[in-house]
Amino acid sequence: MPDDALVEIKDLRVHYRTTQGDVPAVDGVDLTVRRGEILGIAGESGSGKSTLAVALLRLLRAPGYVAGGSIDFHPSGQPSVDLLAMDERRLRSLRWRSLSYLPQGSMNSMNPVMRVGEQFRDVILEHAPERRNQLATMVPRLLRQVGLDEGVVRMYPHELSGGMKQRVLMAMSIALEPDLVVADEPTTALDVTIQRVILQSLGDLRDEFGVTLVVISHDMGVHAQLVDRVAVMYEGKVVEVGDVRQVFKQPRHPYTRSLIESIPRIGEAPWRDEKRSPVA
Amino acid sequence: MTAVATPERASGRGLRAWLGAHPLAGYAIRRFGLYLLELWGAVTVAFFFFRMIPGDPIQTFIQTLQQNYVYNAQASAEVIARYRQEFGLDGNLFSQYLHYMYKVLVQQDLGPSLLNYPTPAQDVIMRAMPWTMGLLGIAAVLAWILGLLAGALAGWRRGKFGADLVTNLSIALSHVPYYFLALILTFVFAYQLNWLPARSAYDARLQPGFSLEFIASLLRYGLLPGLSIVVIGVFSWLLSTRMLMVPVLGEDYLTYAQAKGLRPRRILTRYALRNCYLPQVTAFGISLGFIFNGNVLVEQLFSYPGLGATLVQAIGILDFNTIMGITNLAIFSVLTANLILDLLLPLLDPRVKYWR
Ligand SMILES: Nc1ncnc2c1ncn2[C@@H]1O[C@H](COP(=O)(O)OP(=O)(O)O)[C@@H](O)[C@H]1O
Ligand SMILES: [Mg+2]
Repeated sequence: MPDDALVEIKDLRVHYRTTQGDVPAVDGVDLTVRRGEILGIAGESGSGKSTLAVALLRLLRAPGYVAGGSIDFHPSGQPSVDLLAMDERRLRSLRWRSLSYLPQGSMNSMNPVMRVGEQFRDVILEHAPERRNQLATMVPRLLRQVGLDEGVVRMYPHELSGGMKQRVLMAMSIALEPDLVVADEPTTALDVTIQRVILQSLGDLRDEFGVTLVVISHDMGVHAQLVDRVAVMYEGKVVEVGDVRQVFKQPRHPYTRSLIESIPRIGEAPWRDEKRSPVA
Repeated sequence: MTAVATPERASGRGLRAWLGAHPLAGYAIRRFGLYLLELWGAVTVAFFFFRMIPGDPIQTFIQTLQQNYVYNAQASAEVIARYRQEFGLDGNLFSQYLHYMYKVLVQQDLGPSLLNYPTPAQDVIMRAMPWTMGLLGIAAVLAWILGLLAGALAGWRRGKFGADLVTNLSIALSHVPYYFLALILTFVFAYQLNWLPARSAYDARLQPGFSLEFIASLLRYGLLPGLSIVVIGVFSWLLSTRMLMVPVLGEDYLTYAQAKGLRPRRILTRYALRNCYLPQVTAFGISLGFIFNGNVLVEQLFSYPGLGATLVQAIGILDFNTIMGITNLAIFSVLTANLILDLLLPLLDPRVKYWR
């Protein structure tokens, strides 16, 4: 295993059982996520990005099933495991402390009848009951970190705007300083200015907490702005992986080229030239 | 004119401003007004409906009296008129209605009962009520709690053999009428096995009171009628809860809760059940209201001295005062249960905001 590998996906195959027979949605993917990086996963809608994410998070539901492969996870300070072979009880103790999830904010990911504060409390007390006394300071601090007012603690999900929801989810995803956050379309369905701010905060998360991020987006502009390396998926396969600038400058696969050409660009190249570009 | 109109307008604006600042109070006032209107409407419809049943209860009553006391002579027109007046059956239908509403609303008097003359109808009703409330109330609460829990589990574990077996069994059994089940239970446990009594509410040899013996007898006698209501009730609550549960299980927030690594039991109760039990609370409130109708068939079958059996007897001799009394009680309890639930719902679900 390479020293800096956090996740090693090997020959992963995920199928959906349908009335027309088995549909392979992830079809033999090999991919390594390096510790501390932001890895982008690009590809048009239906290319299998979300299926890869739910398989990695072990959230796959029928009619989907894993047809083969392994996902080796090397959380810091803990023994390495194959996420696909673990039983759910052992997996539960890894969840959120080591492996966390940032869904799209426009989904109903928050329990509609629980206040935001309670939903933080829920997960923190589940995995870190020793922090019970710190809750009152911890949750407002997390919310401030993503640019929210601490009054949000007392609000219900339906009282939040799309951008606010995305930030709450972001704050929640790093509440227990996980090794890996898997973000599926974190900026989709937000308006452009808010997209920028969210991308900025995602970059900050890595810089401040040292979390590793897997960011899934169909939008090549997101990858250009945020990620270190990008993997391009096409029909369930990873057709190209590499340093994001390299991929943008010299796409090897014709599909990647067409994806890049589809981003609207105004004058300059869409990727950032410095490590941290001043956005928004 | 202008001098009068101005302060009026000002106070009107003040009220509107106050209601604007207290939307929940405004909603509660409107909801309460509707409640009063519904009460009046339902009682009025019931009144005219029952008076349309053909027959003259006073004539029948007099004849019974004559038979019992071996009267030879024809009752005088005067006696009949007096009884008519006492039962509120004189004059045309509309003046009878006004008279009835006046007696009920102003004097809180339901009039004398015919079933047990001269006992007032409210006493006849109050005597039957504890039996019905005890039997049906406990049965309804039990059935709801058990059905809700079983339904939640059946939904949660859908696709697993045990859960699907229970679901299919419920689909079949929830269509069995409870009196049919009551008959079977009575046949098996009362007549074949002779374990439990088949009729009445308690052992007639015992003196009603707070003795251990009497309470044990109440439970023994209540078991069969109670069980027949509970069992069928559980099946139908189970099915409806499962039906509400399954779509909630597909919601994003359940996937997210799983990703958070919460305990399955916590996900089941705080995430899944908590998001689907509200319609069941409403349905339960309404079904509680209907308890005051009594359960006619079960009470008849087991000779249980509750409101349902009383209502049937009252209809048999056209005892209007008792019929209306029981009907009013049912109307009042159903509508009040609805009112309380409507006012309570915004507290149970943060998304409910009727008053906007
Ligand atoms: N529940 C499902 N049942 C059947 N097919 C599915 C299901 N979910 C996804 N798929 C199929 O799997 C493929 C990949 O989907 P998905 O992973 O959602 O792609 P992406 O996230 O890249 O848009 C698509 O062809 C889609 O039709
Ligand atoms: Mg997707």
